This record gives sequence, structure tokens and C-alpha cells, in this order.
Amino acid sequence: MTSAGLAMHAVPENQRTESAACAGLSASFFPGSPILSVRDLSKSFGAVNALKHLNADFYSGEIQAICGENGAGKSTLVKILAGVDRPDTGTTCFDGKVCTLSSSKEAQRLGIAMVAQELSVCPDLSVLDNIWLGSMDVPFLPRRKDLRRRAAEALSLLGAEHIALNATVGQLTIGERQLVEIARMLTRNARVFILDEPTATLSDNEIDRIFVALARIKRQGRSVIYITHRLAEVFRICDSVTVLRNGEMVGVSRTADIDRKKLIEMMLGRPFIEMYPEHGYTEGEPILRIDGLCVPGAVRDFSAVVPRGDIVCIAGQVGSGAESVVRTVAGLVYNATGSVRVNGNPMRLGSAEEACQHNIHFVSGDRAEEGIFSSLSVTDNLVATRLRALSRFGFLNPKSLQAEALRLAGWAGVDQRRLRARADDLSGGNQQKLAFGRCLGGTQAGVLVLIEPTRGIDIGARAEIYQLMRGLCAEGYGLLVASTDLEEVIGLADAIITMYRSRQVGSYRGKAINMQDIMADITHPLK
Amino acid sequence: MTGYLRAFFANRTARPFAVLVLIVIVLGIGDDGHGRVLTTSTAYDVLQQFATIGPVALALGLSMMVGEFDLSVGGILSLAGCVAVMAGSGSPAAGLLLAVTVGALGGLLQGTIMTWLNLSSIGVTLGGLLTFGGLSYFLTGNTTIGYDRLDVALGVNAPLLGIFSARSLTAIILFLVATFVVSWTRFGRDLLAVGSDRRAATIVGIRVDRILIAVFVISGLLTAIGGGLLSYGLAAASPTALADTLVPGAAAAILGGVSLSGGKGRPIGIAGGVLVLSMLHSGLTAIGVPPFAHWIVTAAVLFTVGILDGEELSRRVYSFRRAVGQRPDTPPPSASSILVRQQADH
Repeated sequence: MTSAGLAMHAVPENQRTESAACAGLSASFFPGSPILSVRDLSKSFGAVNALKHLNADFYSGEIQAICGENGAGKSTLVKILAGVDRPDTGTTCFDGKVCTLSSSKEAQRLGIAMVAQELSVCPDLSVLDNIWLGSMDVPFLPRRKDLRRRAAEALSLLGAEHIALNATVGQLTIGERQLVEIARMLTRNARVFILDEPTATLSDNEIDRIFVALARIKRQGRSVIYITHRLAEVFRICDSVTVLRNGEMVGVSRTADIDRKKLIEMMLGRPFIEMYPEHGYTEGEPILRIDGLCVPGAVRDFSAVVPRGDIVCIAGQVGSGAESVVRTVAGLVYNATGSVRVNGNPMRLGSAEEACQHNIHFVSGDRAEEGIFSSLSVTDNLVATRLRALSRFGFLNPKSLQAEALRLAGWAGVDQRRLRARADDLSGGNQQKLAFGRCLGGTQAGVLVLIEPTRGIDIGARAEIYQLMRGLCAEGYGLLVASTDLEEVIGLADAIITMYRSRQVGSYRGKAINMQDIMADITHPLK
Repeated sequence: MTGYLRAFFANRTARPFAVLVLIVIVLGIGDDGHGRVLTTSTAYDVLQQFATIGPVALALGLSMMVGEFDLSVGGILSLAGCVAVMAGSGSPAAGLLLAVTVGALGGLLQGTIMTWLNLSSIGVTLGGLLTFGGLSYFLTGNTTIGYDRLDVALGVNAPLLGIFSARSLTAIILFLVATFVVSWTRFGRDLLAVGSDRRAATIVGIRVDRILIAVFVISGLLTAIGGGLLSYGLAAASPTALADTLVPGAAAAILGGVSLSGGKGRPIGIAGGVLVLSMLHSGLTAIGVPPFAHWIVTAAVLFTVGILDGEELSRRVYSFRRAVGQRPDTPPPSASSILVRQQADH
């Protein structure tokens, strides 16, 4: 661990087994006892251990950041604190008493309010109804006047007076919906406020107003737990920072005692070069050329070239537009404008079929939703795109299906003995290999576009996925990757394009790639 | 002026009433001056049908608003009718009460199974449809059982104020109460929220399971009231006679602006949808259109509303124009569901 020698308060190993102890762990630099603490908290989703024996404390009158890479367990932790998810094991204490956070209603009763990472507003209801949704303050027959006044106050605190209380939320922009959600949190008379990446979809002005509101909450002696990927925000408003990695607590520090570089080191925690195969920018002939790409509300004037044999990464945070660029190239965004050329041939946008005909393949990070056929067998998944070639007069030939599946499994590194298993019984890494195997093996090398190729995949399988991607480059594919995982982007890419709130910020290739510039690009707008 | 009109037609709840006015005008023209459509007897007829389809459509519509589908209404309607007739020979009120209890218990049972085992409502209520339907055959011994209180039978259908009857007034009151509950109470808001975005509803602390169970209980209750009164009016309980209300009920709910994906629609809109169906049926009969053509006309109206309602209509038009080589100047407003994917971060 590289955090040795930092001004850190690492969690002692021997306290990990201790449970039901509500006294603060970090009493050395926090006054008083914690308002909210967790002990020995574990949670797994299937085969993935999202949290492993986690201990953490949160204090009143503080804004406390939780930092960590994607998959570190931040969102899982706060969902447990807000009663949305239940832990497998572990104790939570609120205000010195052991409590069970069995539902979000229970959390609300204790005084915990949350803005979830995913937008949680009901599009069919009005702004007013959304703000008061689920609140225990609302009687069976709502007293409209009082509720209107308090909702309007919350909105004006956020500088969002322009949002009409009677407007239907479905008609608002994504940023406005986020403000409605934050206003909802403010109307709750809570003692602990949790915000999970609230600023990803907001403008600088709106973010400033939220920070003012959070500072006010802090002055009132209440507690704020703040999750963000934007490290600048940590240093701007947070008093302390808790770092998680792979579901474990790495340490807690006052923000005054730590700098940006050390924080990044803590978040990554391990040298991050060895995982990635050797590579370099080859400057091959361009296989994909994007010019002046626009997507209303998501991408403004994006241009890029992907050469054969190279991996081009679009780095940006959630909501930066990187994902939309990749989706557009895959033909999944119907209202995109601009020009996309594959091998010099223009492609009509908005049709996935057309994209496939141009030999563009799409692998999503959201495997369950748009990656694999989770209820079908491994064989069926692998041969899904080749049924035409493997059938005669519409009748499938089981023998050649088996042979093809075996070949693809060998190529993609899926265990060849598990061809009959259901796809969702495989681990995340193997599922992703399935998606790769299914896409490939066309007669000529094409373009592979990916979103978060290793989301939720453990380190060992990651390295194999990266090897696969490099293997494709050697075959002459060009790869375009959208990723919010900075470490991955830097380790993997031959060229990097940075995006910040719909705009393209910079581009780097080969030796010019470095963490500082890219971090700066994706966390600050260019003047 | 056109702005107001557009806003009116964009309002899902107001639209069925606009369709209703349109249909009355068209039928009036089709009547060709014979004076067969705009009469009190047609109005009475329309309201009688409203009383038959209405409670079922409301029950189904409420379950659709919450994002589920209560297919058991047909079965509960039969069962409640049989129970009411068989138990109501002494006191009709007691018979109806028993029928309503049975309906509510049926809903409670289905709702509990659904939420407890986390099952799809389609499967559970399809089972409910067969079970309750089968029970009513069992109860009656597969015969039609006559109702001996003819005074009650005549009473529930006797015209009041020219066009109403006790049965249709009951249906109207049920709709008014439902409208009040959905629009003005916290329960109504929670119900729509659960239908609109169930995950969001869970996160904000709504007890989704309770809402779902409550909706299925209400659905059973409404259907049972409708079924009991209908059987009283027919002076007979027959397990076969009442089975085909499911399709008109669903059609009325969709016409009334309820979305299959949940969260949209109001009871008053469903009432409009039921009136549209009843008006079409009575009006077409009045001007002498053969009965087999009724369903085709109804289907045409349903299709038209359904297509106009399609959330992806503007998007498809845009894609189509682009595909055929036209260059539409401005893309339609971005469909947020496509652009913003939720990020899973464990």
C-alpha cells in the first residue's frame, strides 16, 4: 500500500472483527461521538463482494467525502445507510444506539435523507408531488399551501425558482430533475444528508448554489456525506475524506492534511501499469472518423479519428457525453447529427442495423441490460450473431454450432467445459468475454466500440479483457472506448480524448498521456 | 386558440371526452335526422352500460396505473354476482356485502402472493381469473340461478331522473370517490409514483408492497360491487354470462389515458373511456349498424388513440424522414431515457 507515511488514520486490522461498538474509531481528530457509524459491514451481489467488513464513522457538523474508484463500494455503503439495501452482516449505529436500517422509511424516521446516484424522480408526477413523495410530514389529505411554501423555499435555496411547482417532472431537463431531487432532500428534516454524485449533471452555477446549501446544513450542526468523483469538490467543501477501495476502508483523513496526489494514490492503491499490455500509438490508416457529432443535451461538436490497430479512449465523468458518443457510433442514438465514416464510407446515424453492416460492434458495460442474453446458455450467446452462417434453409446445424462455440470460447478465453451453463451463472469477467466472443470473428477486422468495458469486473479478469482488446488491435481492429475509470484509460489507451459536460476538452496520444492533465481536463472546464 | 386546443388534446384525461363529443357528432350525422341517437333512452342505455363496464374498467385501470395488470376482474365479477344472488334472497344488502367481502379477500390474496413471492401480476391474476371463475361454476353447479327478489331486480335498474338508475348512480359515485382519492390524497400520489418509477418510489420511502396490495384489494372490491349489482339487475346469477367484461374494461382504460407502463391516467379519464365505448355501442345500435361491426369500429378508435399516444411517435417519424433521405431541420427534443443511462456502481 502506498499510503504508508501519509498523514493517515488507517483502520487497525484488529478492529475489523469488533462489532456493536458504537464508540468512534477516529476519536483522535474528530470531536465528540459519531452520529452514524457502521461496524463490520459486508454486502455481496452474487459473486461480487461489494463491501468487506467495513468500519466507518460520520460526524455532525461536518461535510465528509467518500472517495474511491468505480466499484469501490461507495454507493453500496450509502444505499445501506439510507435503508435502500440491506447488509449481509454488520451493525449500524445512529446517535450511539444500534439500529436496523430495514427500509428507507426507517432511515427517514431516524433522520437520514439521501440523493441517490441514479435519478429518483417520478416523471409522471409534478415537481411539488415529487418533492414530497414518501415524506412522513405529509398527512393523508395534504395541506397544499404549507407544502407548496416549503417546497418553493427549498427550490429557491438552490437558485431554482424558475422550476414551476406544477410542472411535470418528465418535461424538465436532467439537471433540473437533479435539483428537484436535492430540493426533496432539503425538505426532509434530517440529521444526516447523503448525496451520491449529485453534481454530475449540473452546471457550475447550480453546483455553487448546492454548496451554499450544504454549508448551511453544516452550520446547523448536521452531518453531510458526500460522494464525488470530482476531487476538486472534495478539497473545496469537504472537511474530511474517507477512502474506499474494493469494498474495504483504506483510511480517513482531514482534507487539510492531504493533497490531491496523495488522495489519488490512496484511491488507486496499487501500481497500475503492469495490468496493461505493451502498446504505442501506431498511426495506422483511420478506420473510423467522426466529425462534428452533436447529440441534443449530451454532446456538442465532437470529432475524433480512430486508426486501425489502436485503442482510443474517451475519458470523462458520468454525464460528460462520452457514453453518448459511443452510443451514437453504435447507432443507438436516434437524434444525433454530424458525420461518421467507416473506412471512408459515410454511415447513416440512428440505426444499429446500419452500424452492424459497417462492421461496427458494440460491447456495453451494462452486461445484464444490453450485453448478454442472461437466460440463454453460453453456446447460444456465443453463436447468436452467426446463426445465418451456421444454418441451411433456416435449419440450424447443431454440430457446427458446437464447433463454432468451442472455437469462440477458446478465442475469448471462456472455459470450454462450461458451454452449457447459463450465461448469468458466469462471473462478470466471463460474461464480458462472452460479449466479446459474440461480436468477433467476422471476415474482416472492423470497429469495436465499448462503454466501461471492465465495470464491475475484478482485477484478474480485467487483465484478460485488456489482453483480448490488444489482441483485436493486432488483428487490425480499431477500438473506441468510453470510460470513467481514469486508471484504465491511462493504462489502456493509445490516444485519449477528454470530455467535460458535453464538450471535447483535449486530446493526447502516446507519450503525451499523463494523469495530471487528464484529471484536470475532466474535472475542470477549459476557459 | 389553437394553443388551448393542443393543450386540451395533449391532456390524456381530457382526450376521451373530446373523442366522446366527436363520436356523438358523427353519430348524430349518421343518424340522418331520424332522431334516434340524441334521446333520453339512448342516454339511459349508455349509462346502464357504463354501470356494467365502469367498475371493471376502473379496477383494471387502477392496477394499470400502478404498473400491474389485474386480469382476475372477470373471475371476481362472476363470483361476486353468484355470491350476491345466492346470499341476497333475504336481504340484498347482506348479499352485496358478502360479495364485496369475497372480492376484497380475493384481491388481498392475490396482492399478498404477488408481493410476498415477488411474482408478476399477469401470472397471478390469470390464475385468479381461472380460480374465481371456476369457483362460481362450483357454487352454482354450472346452472343459472334465478334471483327471487324481483322488486330488487327492477329497483336497481329503474330509471331515476330520466336517464339514471341506482346501478349507474353507484358506478358514478365510485368514479367520483376514486378520482378524489387519486388526485387529492397521499395514497393517490404514492400509487401514481409506484407506477411511474418503482425504484424511485422505493428509494424515497414509499412502502411499495402495501400500495400494490391495497390496489388489488380495491380492484377486487370495485369489481364485486359492479358484479353484485349487475346480477341483481339481471335477476340471475350465471357463471358464463359475465365473463367477457375484461376486454371492454381494458379498452376503456386505455382509451381513458391509462398507460400500460403505469403512472399515467386518472379515474375520470377512465370514466370518459367507458362512456366512449358505451356511446359507440348504443349509438351504433340506435342507427341500425349490425352488432358485429361494433367491435371493428371500437378497435379503429382504440388504434387511433393508441398510435397518437405512442411515446416514440415523433422519434419514429424523425428516423423515418431521415431514412428516406429528407433532412428534418430540428431533431425532436431529446428522449432522456435514451441519452442518460443509469450508472451502476457497487
